[in-house]
Amino acid sequence: MVLWHKNAHVFDNDFGTVSLAFFNRYPNPYAVHVLSIDTLSRDTDSEGLLHTTRLIKKTGKLPRWSKTLLGKITDSWIIEHSIVDPSNMVMKTFTKNLDHTGIMTVEEYTTYRSDSGRTLVTSQVKFSSGFGVGIKNRIEEWSRTKFDENIKKSRLGMTFVMQQLQNRRNVCTC
Amino acid sequence: MGNAMSASFAPECTELKKQYDDCFNEWYSEKFLKGKSIENECSKQWYAYTTCVDANLVKQGIKPALDEARKEAPFENGGAIEQQDQ
Repeated sequence: MVLWHKNAHVFDNDFGTVSLAFFNRYPNPYAVHVLSIDTLSRDTDSEGLLHTTRLIKKTGKLPRWSKTLLGKITDSWIIEHSIVDPSNMVMKTFTKNLDHTGIMTVEEYTTYRSDSGRTLVTSQVKFSSGFGVGIKNRIEEWSRTKFDENIKKSRLGMTFVMQQLQNRRNVCTC
Repeated sequence: MGNAMSASFAPECTELKKQYDDCFNEWYSEKFLKGKSIENECSKQWYAYTTCVDANLVKQGIKPALDEARKEAPFENGGAIEQQDQ
């Protein structure tokens, strides 16, 4: 079973600010379930693109109906890949859960693109699960609700972080 | 959150992570995005931080799944857009 959700958004901030905020998006008040984020590798390639791999740890947060299937789930781990193309001002990001994949895999692809001083964001999320038809509808409904909820929160979080970066810049007289 | 620090999964690496992140943020904004440098100028901070992370990763049960996932190349062939069948 595979479900896709798509979404687009515009940040009024420039690409530099948005992409910096992406790298600094945790912690923020809209992502209290995120416990940690670590950089595992970071390199620039021969074309000048910046490749980063990070590891995110979240507290388990699954729908109530799933508890009968899964019992008690605690923390989960997410891998994040990103590429920044500084000359074209484009950043591509990918996240995917590393564990609990027998239940569901959630893969998110997001592109941030500079557009006359603003930044266009497009996200696509793929939910896949080995569960059969019986539970499909519930997963479908849950994934859609969850997607809307999460994307809203992640944008509020990004906006919060951008505000903080801005404040820090204003304080610093360097 | 205000002063909340961005944490490492391993508490003893959090301070090293902060030093690395501070260096990276400065380099990213002031040099990399401006086309002034593609060299990683935070190698000293990076080495200390990544040594700490690697030592602690071994203790986590996630290592095999992580090693597998790190080999993936999600952006090749256009990534999601090409794969999508909607």
